[in-house]
Formats: sequence, C-alpha cells, structure tokens
Amino acid sequence: MSDISIKIAIAEPSSIIRSGIAVTLKRIHGFHAQTFEIASPDLLLGSLKLYKPDLLIVNPIYWIHLDLNKLKEEAEILTLKTMAIVTGMYDETITSRFNDVIGLYDTIEQLQQKFENIFNVPDSEEATEENETLSLREKEILTCVVKGHTNKEIASELFLSTHTVITHRRNIARKLGIHSAAGLTIYAIVNKLVDIRDVNPTD
Amino acid sequence: MHHKFTPQTRMSDLIDEDAILLSTISRFGISFGFGDKTITEACAANNIDTRTFLSVVNFITDGNVELGEIVQDLSIETVINYLKNGHSYFLFYKLPSIRDKLIKAVDSSDQSIPYRQVFIRFFDEYVDEVRKHMEYEDRTVFPYVIRLLSGKNEGKYRIAVFEEHHTDVDSKLAELKNILIKYYPSKGNNYLLNEVLSDLLLCEKDLATHNRVEDYFFVPVIDAIEKKTNKSHE
Repeated sequence: MSDISIKIAIAEPSSIIRSGIAVTLKRIHGFHAQTFEIASPDLLLGSLKLYKPDLLIVNPIYWIHLDLNKLKEEAEILTLKTMAIVTGMYDETITSRFNDVIGLYDTIEQLQQKFENIFNVPDSEEATEENETLSLREKEILTCVVKGHTNKEIASELFLSTHTVITHRRNIARKLGIHSAAGLTIYAIVNKLVDIRDVNPTD
Repeated sequence: MHHKFTPQTRMSDLIDEDAILLSTISRFGISFGFGDKTITEACAANNIDTRTFLSVVNFITDGNVELGEIVQDLSIETVINYLKNGHSYFLFYKLPSIRDKLIKAVDSSDQSIPYRQVFIRFFDEYVDEVRKHMEYEDRTVFPYVIRLLSGKNEGKYRIAVFEEHHTDVDSKLAELKNILIKYYPSKGNNYLLNEVLSDLLLCEKDLATHNRVEDYFFVPVIDAIEKKTNKSHE
C-alpha cells in the first residue's frame, strides 16, 4: 500500500528538538511526512492559515495560552489534529486537550502507532494481507478503461453498478500507484492485458 | 539565525557542498568561471543582489523548512527572475531532453511492440500539466507581485490563492518512474532506460526544490508584503 501523505507543522522554539522531530517523523513507516517548522509564536497562526497542515505538533509550555479550538477556527482548519511535545512531567489538564503527545524518548514504532490512531489507519496486518496484484475483475475493468469506455458503459457491459465500477477503479489506482488514464494504458499494454491496436493513442 | 554560507564563502565551494546549487547558480544568471571569487564578488560581477542570492541558497541547502523571520529588503525581482529561469529550464530544456531519451530507450528495448506512442502520450500529457502550472505563475502570480511591489495593485488577488492552487506537479513524474521501474519489461542490461530513470530522478528532485522555494520562501515573503501594504492602507 502506498504511504499516506501528511502535512505537519512543528511549533517548538528549540531548533534541535524541532529539527530532530522533523527528521524522526520522516522515518515513520507508512507515512510520507511533509514538515515545516515554526520557531516563533507570532508566526503560528499565519503559517497555519497559509499552509493548512493536517497535524500541528506544538510545545504546550511555550504556547501555554493556546486555545486549540479558537486556533482551528481562525486558521480555518477544523479537522486539524494536534499533538503536544512533552519534555517533562505535565499535568494532564495541559495535554488532554491534544489528540496525543510526543515524548522525547518515543520510538519510531510508538510514533507510528500514534499516527495510525490519529489518522484512523486500519490495522497494518489487515493491510498487508491484501496484495498489490489485480484481481480478475479488476483486470477486466482496467481493460475497458484503457479501451476508452466510460464508467457507465463498463457497468452495463459487466453487469455491475456504476458505483461498483468506481470502487474497482479506485482500488486499481491504489494498488498500482497509477492514477492517470495514460499511465494505466501503459501498464495494460506492457502487461499484455490489451493489444496496442485496441487503444487509439491519437484521440 | 546562523547560516551555512556567508558573503565571504567562495562561490566554487557552494557546488562542492551541494550539487543542486549548480543549477541554482545558473538560474540566477551567474556565469561559471568565477575562479576564487567570493559570493559577494561573483554576485557583484553579474549584477545580482548578494543578500537575495545568499538567502535562496541557504534556504535550499537547509533540508528542513523553517519559517523564520522574514528576510527584509530582498530583491523580489531577483527571486522572480530566478524562478522564471527555472521554468524555462524545465519546459524548454530538461523535459524535452528527457522526452528524447525516453523515445530512444523505448525504441531500443523491443522492436516488435510499438510502445512508443503510449509512452510519448503519457509524457506529453505530463509536460502539458507542468506547462499550465508554470504559465499560471508567469502570467498571473509574478505580474501580481510586481504590481503589489509598485503599489499599483487594485485587484482582489492574494498570494494565498496561489498557495491553495499550487498543485503537486511532481506526482505524475513519480508515476512514470513507477511504471518504468516496476512494470517495464526491460531485458538484461539497458543503459538507455537507466539514463532516462536517473534523469527523471534528478528532475524530480530539482522540481521539488523549485517548488519548495516557491511555497516556503517566496510565498511567505509576499504574504508579509501584502500584510504590510494592507496595514498602511487602513
């Protein structure tokens, strides 16, 4: 399965801790972390507004008066997830407002678990069970797509609902990591699912 | 903030440090053959604002994106020129050169099946996307910034609009790479295919750096100028 891409803002005044977290997050399996760092409190709201991250990791000690709900509203990211950087023993009232905490001694595996919880990733064991090869049905649908048939046409040819065709197409794109029609065409031809004469590259 | 490179760093040392700066130097319009000149001297010889050049190269070499204090007194025109030169490099030099190599590699690998057309179609669609993306910047974003700087901006456009629509142009390139690496039935030793792949990988990195400069260097500076202009209007 391909990695989940998440945009992360790290607000922490210590450049060693900030950059350390950024580098560590990039090593988490199953996620592609795009990070940007915020050193000073005045830049927090503006940067959130501009870049709309999925996750904010913040040191609660330096942003002690931070009202998370107000911040989410002002930055217009109501779905923003938050994590607190914990560098000592904190009262739970400080950290409970966040989705989770990051401790300085967290292992990569622990961080991965936390990320999976926050972003509702299905169990990794379940995910690996499903392999990346296409099922027969998916191959059939791919062949039709490459020949230029619309979802509606494919549905009636294979006696499926349009909705089912769309679901299959989404699964095909995810399994192969190919999203464009032209890319799928190359895959189908190279893997001999269709004959090159069946596709018309000029239209 | 402390930065890796200073005005006294020798220009030639930049390239030793990070090869991606080779293209940065060219895109600023600084010609090679700078001998032992420092950054200040080489910039002066080419009429380039040293502060701006240094801010960009320091930003590029620092792997992490840090939104620090906005650097004052940058020459925005210099940054725009640098970005525009990047656009013409990708559109008129690098991507066409990859296209030629791709055709050669595909042609040589298996004569019995004409893959050529499908690969070219895929690649051309990709280049089209990149072109639209870059033309939008050249025709809408940069002229807006120039108007903003001269205080003649009356429209409703804001740099945040650009940031919102700044789509990810390297994902399709990654897709082509994916197809070539995972699904292409190459036989034995194929130097030509190898050559295309290494070009694609470099180009992907180069494009990502270019976009990083746009998103996290250029956009915050313009955003700060917008805020300042709005305040003085109030």
